[in-house]
Amino acid sequence: MNMIEYRNVTKIYEDKTAALKNISLTIKKGEFVFLVGPSGSGKSTMIKLLIREIAVSAGAIFVAGRNICNLKQSRIPQLRRNIGSVFQDFKLLPNKTVFENVAFALEVIGKPSYVIKLQVPQVLKLVGLEHKLQSYPHQLSAGEQQRVSIARAFVNRPPILLADEPTGNLDPVTSEGIMKLLSRINLIGTTVAMATHDKNIVNSMRRRVIELEEGEIIRDQKRGVYGI
Amino acid sequence: MIFRPRYFFGETFIGMRRNFLMFFTAISTVAITLFIVGFFLIIVYDVQGVLTSIKSQVEVAVYLKDNITDELKVYLENEIKNWDEVDEVTFVSKDQALEKFKKDNEGSEILKEIQGNPLPASFEIKLTSPEKVEQIALRFVDKDGNYIEGVDEVIYGQNYVQKLFSITAIAGSIAFLIIIMLLLAAIVLVFNTIRLSIHARRKEIEVMKLVGATNWFVRIPFLFEGFFEGFAGSLISVVLLYFMSNYLLIRGEKAIVDTMHVKELAILGVNNVILYIYAGLVVLGGLVGLLSSSFALKRYIRV
Ligand SMILES: Nc1ncnc2c1ncn2[C@@H]1O[C@H](COP(=O)(O)OP(=O)(O)O)[C@@H](O)[C@H]1O
Ligand SMILES: [Mg+2]
Repeated sequence: MNMIEYRNVTKIYEDKTAALKNISLTIKKGEFVFLVGPSGSGKSTMIKLLIREIAVSAGAIFVAGRNICNLKQSRIPQLRRNIGSVFQDFKLLPNKTVFENVAFALEVIGKPSYVIKLQVPQVLKLVGLEHKLQSYPHQLSAGEQQRVSIARAFVNRPPILLADEPTGNLDPVTSEGIMKLLSRINLIGTTVAMATHDKNIVNSMRRRVIELEEGEIIRDQKRGVYGI
Repeated sequence: MIFRPRYFFGETFIGMRRNFLMFFTAISTVAITLFIVGFFLIIVYDVQGVLTSIKSQVEVAVYLKDNITDELKVYLENEIKNWDEVDEVTFVSKDQALEKFKKDNEGSEILKEIQGNPLPASFEIKLTSPEKVEQIALRFVDKDGNYIEGVDEVIYGQNYVQKLFSITAIAGSIAFLIIIMLLLAAIVLVFNTIRLSIHARRKEIEVMKLVGATNWFVRIPFLFEGFFEGFAGSLISVVLLYFMSNYLLIRGEKAIVDTMHVKELAILGVNNVILYIYAGLVVLGGLVGLLSSSFALKRYIRV
């Protein structure tokens, strides 16, 4: 089953930049996919399109078989509840504790507090931060902060997890830990798509690699490495 | 969407505690600006009261010739009573006039010099609309500019009354303009303060949108907060105004009464109009807070 499908997708920004040019590709349920390519090649654009942060200029995008391009504004939150997102800059709230940062994601989608009390410690255990519940982000290392943001993205058990350069701010050892975590999340059935230009990570993982260049797919390889 | 008051109030108050400085700034901005608006309103209303009480003391005195016939006198009195602008007509006979004069000047040398009764009888006319005083006075003058038969003289404070009315008209429109401008300034200032406090929390909004919060879920805590800031700020301004008008204005008014020798004044502690001004300020505060939040959020809530 196709979890994600880009069908002839073109994205042209207001300033006429063509970020994606007639892209087509499918990602199956449970797959782990790397989006690679140099800076400005269109990786982030692909991710932003998927959570409807921006809209396509032409073509269509399907998530679980549903065309998300003609989604009503009021249905977008529902789409985002099914897609966890992780970013290079973590996007944690500095004045909330680790627990509160993760709980916040459940609160704002209206989950009752018993669900929050149950799921937040669970997911924080999964990312290995069960002992830091009451810490504030500034008291954590960068790698730990990224774990919190992954916990927040995954606490609602979304079928899809998107990561845009999640290791961009991390050293190689810490990055390895984050990749193990993402693999584990993938192993429990989550479809994971990760944009990166970190050669070592891609090469060590041996997963599907989709390479972009100036808004076009120039390679799609089953068990790929960063460059050929 | 499930309505969860505990979340919304919780978030509102957590937000206020964590952004105390912003919160404090917003409330004091509302309090100070509305205090200025309210203070000016009360002063204007107060001055208006002084002017009205001065105006209401405007009278037309129609002095009659001694030789006026009783028929003409009765005719005039009935005629005057029928005019719309006339509130009350009192006939003061020669005897009554003399009596009053004696009373007013008791113990004075002047009484010894009076022989017989030199004082004329008169009609004292109180008006419902004091602005018409000149028009009324002119009805006792014929085409040639002479007083009509039986009338000796008409007195109504010709010069000062007219001036008073034109000055109050101009002052009224200037005050109106100033109030409008103060109001606009207050609204702009409050809006900007609330916009800043929302801007300071844009990251929170971004995260909420990212994890799939609905627009209303994002909005409601901010709307509560904006409303609360406007409401609390305006309450503070009303409390300040209350003490201010009770202690300062009443004293000021006593001073005016004493120096200007005005008969009576609308002494303003708390009366109905002042209560309306207070209520209006509180409603305005809450509304401006709420609307400011609502407008300011528009920029951050998209995406
Ligand atoms: N909001 C935007 N407005 C205009 N151009 C943009 C915008 N975002 C990205 N771009 C342009 O689109 C292209 C692809 O950008 P992006 O998807 O961010 O690339 P990557 O994530 O691979 O570095 C770049 O040329 C970039 O300058
Ligand atoms: Mg990018």
